[in-house]
Amino acid sequence: MNRTVLIIGLLIVVAIVFVLFACLGKDPQHIESPLIGHPAPPFALKAVGTGETIDLQSLRGKPVVVNFWATWCVPCYEEHPTLVANARNLPDVQFVGVVFNDTEDKINRFLDERGKAYPTLLDANGKTAIAYGVGGVPETFFINPAGNIVAKFEGPLSTEQLQADLAKAMR
Amino acid sequence: MTAALGRFLILASVLVSTTGAFIAFAAGSKRSPEGLRWSQRFAYGFAALMLAATGVMEYALITHDFSVEYVSHVGSRQVPLWVTIVSLWSSLEGSILFWGLILGIYIAATTWFNRNDHQEYMPFAIGTWLSCGAFFSFLIAGPANPFLSVANPPLDGPGPNPLLQNHLLMIIHPPMLYLGYVGMTIPFGFAIAALLRGRLGQSFLKPLRASLLLPWIFLTIAIMLGGWWAYEVLGWGGYWAWDPVENASLLPWLTATAALHSAIVMERRGVLKGWTVTLIQASFLLTILGTFMTRSGVFNSVHSFTQSSIGPTILVFLATVLVLSVVLLAMRINSLEAEGRLESAVSREGMFLVNNLFFVVLTFTVLIGTCFPLIVEAVKGKQMSVGRPYFDAMVVPIGTALLFLLGVGPALPWGKASKKEMQSALIPPLILGTVVLAVGYALGVRNVWTLLTLLFGGYAAHVTFAQMWLPLRQRMKHGDSFGPALLDGQLRRGRRRFGGYVVHAGAVIVFVAIAVSSTMRTQQEVTLSRGQSTTFAGYTVTFAGIEERAEPHRQSTIAHFNLTKNGKTITTMEPRMNQYAAMREPIGTPAVYSTITRDYYISIMNLQGDQAGVLLINLPMVGWIWGAVLLMGLGGLIALIPMRRRTYVVVPESVVTAPDEVIA
Repeated sequence: MNRTVLIIGLLIVVAIVFVLFACLGKDPQHIESPLIGHPAPPFALKAVGTGETIDLQSLRGKPVVVNFWATWCVPCYEEHPTLVANARNLPDVQFVGVVFNDTEDKINRFLDERGKAYPTLLDANGKTAIAYGVGGVPETFFINPAGNIVAKFEGPLSTEQLQADLAKAMR
Repeated sequence: MTAALGRFLILASVLVSTTGAFIAFAAGSKRSPEGLRWSQRFAYGFAALMLAATGVMEYALITHDFSVEYVSHVGSRQVPLWVTIVSLWSSLEGSILFWGLILGIYIAATTWFNRNDHQEYMPFAIGTWLSCGAFFSFLIAGPANPFLSVANPPLDGPGPNPLLQNHLLMIIHPPMLYLGYVGMTIPFGFAIAALLRGRLGQSFLKPLRASLLLPWIFLTIAIMLGGWWAYEVLGWGGYWAWDPVENASLLPWLTATAALHSAIVMERRGVLKGWTVTLIQASFLLTILGTFMTRSGVFNSVHSFTQSSIGPTILVFLATVLVLSVVLLAMRINSLEAEGRLESAVSREGMFLVNNLFFVVLTFTVLIGTCFPLIVEAVKGKQMSVGRPYFDAMVVPIGTALLFLLGVGPALPWGKASKKEMQSALIPPLILGTVVLAVGYALGVRNVWTLLTLLFGGYAAHVTFAQMWLPLRQRMKHGDSFGPALLDGQLRRGRRRFGGYVVHAGAVIVFVAIAVSSTMRTQQEVTLSRGQSTTFAGYTVTFAGIEERAEPHRQSTIAHFNLTKNGKTITTMEPRMNQYAAMREPIGTPAVYSTITRDYYISIMNLQGDQAGVLLINLPMVGWIWGAVLLMGLGGLIALIPMRRRTYVVVPESVVTAPDEVIA
């Protein structure tokens, strides 16, 4: 038995296995948003269809769900029914869709086919998406009645996920 | 029905590989010829079951049998037949099945080729291979089962990952990589057999070396194909980003390359046995680590499969094999005693040692850079990434030193050399080195590392070329005519050596091409309106317009550019942006115009109306990399073809011969 080989070898093994084991189950794509706990960046955008301008400031006082999406994104198709159903069930929560990198007629067609329950705003130059640090669509931000971002979710929302994040905004 | 048949075949292969492994280890410890024959049968049986299971999966894919879960995930009636066939390795479960198939073929073929030889080692080797086979069968039967049934089969499926359909290289890169990765199991089995036996005799070196060289060739080509794909598709004009999974493919390549070199010293001098065995073990373990990296969802990479449940299973396997390997190595390394000794540090074998040292340092450098973010996250809970600056700063000097050794090592004689011998070996190549350096300087190279690479590259090219044709020249000096000298001396008896130097020649070109293409590249970002031109790197680029094209699986925006030089039209370049339904971001595909001396590369940054923002890149010598790596693979093949007689004609003064130890 060569003890030097054994000890050095096992030390390397333990180090490698420890590090790999500690990182199991973490999602490396997930990056904590620095906005959490801070006031939501303000925006005032035109709603698709009605043309009325909606200002985030005017929504203070109730929880707001801001969902960034686009008609060219498949996961957005998946989560749309969840958003619509929850928006209908939760009248005390304000849902807002923000669409960027897209055109108004495509958005209208999407909403006509798949239903609408809350205003969808067009972020024509993508400035709002940039302000929120959106890395891809869909991405959803949860804002509490005081106007602070409390949670962010990347990817298609499930009802459970939505309610869990919304609970943080209700507190 | 098909799904059930597949599940049955996989369960059978779990049973066959496990039983076969037990029988093989028992046969090894009892030295039973009958037991060896049975373990051989089980090895063939495992391969047959894997082949059948893959056949069933391909049948299900081709017949669009969506009651098989894997087919319902990656199949589609919309995609062409070839896409359906290669869908086998387009997603996690199928790729593990494909892994099992390749493992089965490797095991059966190696068992067959050595059916009458090396009976001392073969049972343990077969036992080790079948143990790995058992693990992968278990993965396929359990955590990554592609043969689950779908209760209500859909009428159509989504089709495979769009990237697979985006470029031809994406189809051949994965199988090549698997052939390299999985193949490392074979030398690992041989190494474990040598450790269990407690000896590593001269005659056993031949299968050990061949089994290491074959996957090395595949891995070499696979790494290059991956880089080439990135270059042709990703649009930033580079081929290597130190992405964790790129590193994962490089790590076993580095240790395998080191092992191929130390095996030569082992053969010549009878030393470095334990070391070579360690490197072979490391190569295999690094392939398992690489598999873990791509499939556990721990690393952030372009290669990651979706988060899967097989991460923990592979980690348990990796940890088990790591511990067993270390314990076995510690128990037996002292019994693999050296038969000879090293006489002088400044000799060919001395340079081999330094070469090995550098390869291992390089492996650790890349491994630490790759895992450092994980270490930080595990210890401090913070996210960070290690990028180019670290890798470039660390790898460039070590790589340059390796190129230096590639020149000096083969120039030095084996054993002890006199001062005069050394002078006559080392000084003449300086001429070509200096010439190449001067040419580079005249063409505008100012980067110190690139200039060093040119100097060492020219030096190494001279040595390599001289050594490559040495058998031919020696034969002709002894009065042979050109024909027999070439055929017998060079291509028959000296084939292994010749192949080795062909690999070296390819490597020299790769070194130079990487240095030149990365330090001499120039680029320019411009925004052009329709009809507008710009001149960059000697060519005039005119933006001719945009075209939208709808295809079933993607939406493409194609920009047209006319490339002219001195008023003459050269070609039309069509970079594009592809939007796939299943992707969150569009994928750009650049356009590349390649010439012998350089590539002209256009990548779209953004398209708005009649305006195109593009990145123009001028990359000298980049195409040489692909060709030179193919040359390395060819050299490996030349060296792999077995020689009819075991004779060493070249530099015969120091051949160490050991008694043959075949029992049969």
